[in-house]
Amino acid sequence: MQPYHHVSNHESHHMKSYIWLKTADGAIQQVDEDVAMFCPMICREVLQTGMGASKLHAISLPQRVNPAILGLILDYCRFHQVPGRSNKEHKTFDEKFIRMDTKKLCELTSAADSLQLKPLVDLTSRALARIIEGKTAEQIRETFHLPDDLTEEEKLEPLRNITDDPRIRLLNRLYAKKREELKERKKLKNVEVEEDEPKDERSVDDLLLFINGANGDMKGTRVNKNKKKNRRRKDHAKDPSLQNSNENDSKELSPLPSACHHDNFDSSFVASPSKNSRTQDLPAVNFSPKLEFIDGDLDDDLDPAMKEELDREVEDFARRLNSDWEARMQEILCEGQDRRLVPISTSTNGSTHLHTGLHRR
Amino acid sequence: MGDVLGPDFISDLPQSIIESILTQLPIRDAVRTSILSSKWRYKWASMTHLVFDEKCVPLCNDRDGVDKSIVKFITSVLFLHQGPIHKFRITNSYLQSCPEIDQWILFLSRNDIKELVLELEEGEFFRIPSCLFNCKKLTRLELFRCELEPPLTFKGFMCLKSLNLHQVLISPDAIDSIISSCPLLESLSLSYFDSLALTIRAPNLKYLNLEGEFKDICLEDTPLLVELSVAMYMTDDIAEHFEQSSNCNFFKFLGGVPNLEKLVGHIYFTKYLSIGNPGNLPIIYNNLESIELYQVGFEDMNEMLVVLRLITSSPNLKELQISQGSSNMSSATDAPNMDFWAKKCPSDSTLGHLKVVKLTDMCGVPQEMEFIKFLLGCSPVLEIMSIAPCVHDMENEMRMLIELVKFRRASTKAEIVFTRE
Repeated sequence: MQPYHHVSNHESHHMKSYIWLKTADGAIQQVDEDVAMFCPMICREVLQTGMGASKLHAISLPQRVNPAILGLILDYCRFHQVPGRSNKEHKTFDEKFIRMDTKKLCELTSAADSLQLKPLVDLTSRALARIIEGKTAEQIRETFHLPDDLTEEEKLEPLRNITDDPRIRLLNRLYAKKREELKERKKLKNVEVEEDEPKDERSVDDLLLFINGANGDMKGTRVNKNKKKNRRRKDHAKDPSLQNSNENDSKELSPLPSACHHDNFDSSFVASPSKNSRTQDLPAVNFSPKLEFIDGDLDDDLDPAMKEELDREVEDFARRLNSDWEARMQEILCEGQDRRLVPISTSTNGSTHLHTGLHRR
Repeated sequence: MGDVLGPDFISDLPQSIIESILTQLPIRDAVRTSILSSKWRYKWASMTHLVFDEKCVPLCNDRDGVDKSIVKFITSVLFLHQGPIHKFRITNSYLQSCPEIDQWILFLSRNDIKELVLELEEGEFFRIPSCLFNCKKLTRLELFRCELEPPLTFKGFMCLKSLNLHQVLISPDAIDSIISSCPLLESLSLSYFDSLALTIRAPNLKYLNLEGEFKDICLEDTPLLVELSVAMYMTDDIAEHFEQSSNCNFFKFLGGVPNLEKLVGHIYFTKYLSIGNPGNLPIIYNNLESIELYQVGFEDMNEMLVVLRLITSSPNLKELQISQGSSNMSSATDAPNMDFWAKKCPSDSTLGHLKVVKLTDMCGVPQEMEFIKFLLGCSPVLEIMSIAPCVHDMENEMRMLIELVKFRRASTKAEIVFTRE
C-alpha cells in the first residue's frame, strides 16, 4: 500500500505539475510547469505536441542548451514568471543575473535565442554590447577569443574609407619611395640624364593613362618618363616640406579640379578599390615591398643627405603609427578633420605635377 | 556536456543576436568591430538600425571640422552598408544642412527605410528632397526644422503609423493632405507651427499632440482617438480670429472623440474651447479617465463652463489636474455669479470615480474656492486632493485654509494636502 500512500500524500500536498526536459547530452530534468512554460518554445511544444508530461516523453531541447545553461535559464524564468513584481525588482534581478563570465554570457544568449526567450536575449545582448563598448580591438579580441586574422591592409580598409588621412598617405609615399629607391638604384644615372624639364606639362589624358596602366609603346614610354618626372617632383615637393606635408597636400590638391574629377566623383570616400590597394600598402611592422603599384612617388635620385632625412622620417612615422593603433586612429579622426579638403580619388601622381618651380637641385 | 560553442564563442551566434548587440552599441563602436577578425569584417555592415547621435564623431574645437567629419562618416557608413536599413536616425546639433543629406535620403529610399528621424543643427531649415516621398515602407517619420513640400503626385505613405513634425515649414493644405493620405496613421505630433488652421482626418489616429499657434483645429474624422494633448499659443492674429469666430469650438474639437482616455490642454486651450455655444449636446466620454488642464482662466465663466462640462461628461474620470492661469486674478474679485454655480453644478451630480485631484497656482479667489467645494462635495471616492497656492502669501493662504476646512466632503477617505513652496 505504500506507493499509493505516497502518491496521495504527494497529490494532496503539492498539486503541482511538472514538465520533463531533455538536454542534448541525454540528461533529463524535471521542472515546475509554471517555470518551464515561461519559455515560448517549451510552451509551444507542450501545447502542440503534448510532450513533456512524463519522463519518457521529455521535450528535447535544442543543442545549444546544455544543463548548466538550462539551470540559469530556469532561474531566470522562475523569477520572472511570478506575477506582481515591480519593474524595479525585475531590473535588480536582471542586473545581478547577468554577472557572469563572457563565455557563459554568450552561451546563455545563444541558448535563450534557441528557446525564443526574447526578454532574456535582449538582456544578454545588451550585456554583451556593454562589454564591447569603448574597448580597443585588442581587448575585445582577448575577451571573446577572436582570432586576429585580418591583415593590416584589411584592417585599414573600411576605416580608411571612413577616415582618410593625408598623413597615412604620406607614410605610404615615404615607404614607396624607400622601396623603389632600393629597387631602381641602378637606373639612377640614366634617369638623371633624361630629366631636365622644370615643368610637367602632362595632360589629363596622360594622367589617365598613367593611372590605368599604360599599354601602348609610345604612351608607355611617355608614361615612364612622366612617372620619373613625377617622382622627382614629388621628392622635391616633399622634402622641404616633410614637416608640413599636409599643407602641401592641400596646396597641391586644391587647384586640381580637372584631374581629380576625371572620375566624376565628388564624395571624398568614394575611393575606388584600386586606390585602396595602391595606398594601402602600409606595412605597419615590416618593410617588405608588397605591390607593384603605380604610385608616382618613386624617387631614384635622391642625394644621400635627403635620403637619410627621408629614412629618418619614415622610421619615425612608422614608429608613431605602429605604437598604438587605436590611439592613433582616435587622434587621426579628431585632428585630421581640418585637413580634409579634396576627393581622395585624386591620383597621387597627379597631385604633384603642378608644383612648378622646384628644381632638382 | 562541454562547449556548445567553439573557442571563439561570439562570432557564430545567429545574425539576429549579432545585430541586437551591434545596434545597442554606439555606431562608432559598431563600425570598429570590422577590424576584430575576418568574420567580423562586415558584420556591422548589415545592421538595420543606424543611429547617429551627438557622440558619433569625436568632438573638437573646430565646429566646422566636426560637421565635415560627421558628413563624411555618415556617407561612408551608408556607402559601405549592405542590405536593408530599417531605422535611420540623425540627432546631432553639429550637423548643418548640406547637399549630402539629399543623397542619404535617396539612398535610404532605395533601401526599405521604415523609420526616419532627422534632427539637425538649430537654425537651418533644410529642404527635404522629394525622394523622401518615395519611401513606400515608411512607418515612422520625425522631422525637425526643415521644409517639406510633397510633390503633386504624392499619394500618401501607406504604412505610416507615426508622424512627428517639429518646426517644419509646410503649407496648411499639404499638412492636411499628408495626414489624410496616411490611412494607418496612429500617432501624430505637430509642434511649433504658425497660425495653422488644421483639419484632421485620420480614422486610425490614437495619439495626437499639437503645440503651436493654431488658429483653428477641427478633428473631423478621428473616432479612435485615445490621447489628446494640445498647447495653444496666442498671437494677436489668433486672438482676433477667436473674437470673430462663430464656430462652436468645443464641438468641432471634442465632438468626435468618444473613445478619449486622456486629455491634456495647455495655455489657451480652454479659452479656445470656450468659444462658441455648444448648446446641450450630450457628449459623454466614457473612457476619459485623466484630464489635465493648465492655465485655466478661472475668472472667465466660459472657461469654467468648459471645465465643468468636461468633468461632468466623463463619468469615469479618475484623475483631474488643473492649474490656474490668469495673471490678474485681482480683477475678478467682484462678486461672482453664485447662481452660476448653483445652476451649472447641480449638487446631485456625482463624480463616481474621481480619486486624485491636483490643483496648482490657486489664488484663493471665490471662483476657485467654489470649484473646490464642488469637487469635494461630489466625489465619493476621492482619495487625495492636493492644492498648491500660487504665491506665498501667509494671509491669503490662511484664508484659503479656513474656507477649505468648512467644505463638506463626500468621501470619508479624502485627504486634502496643502503644499507650500
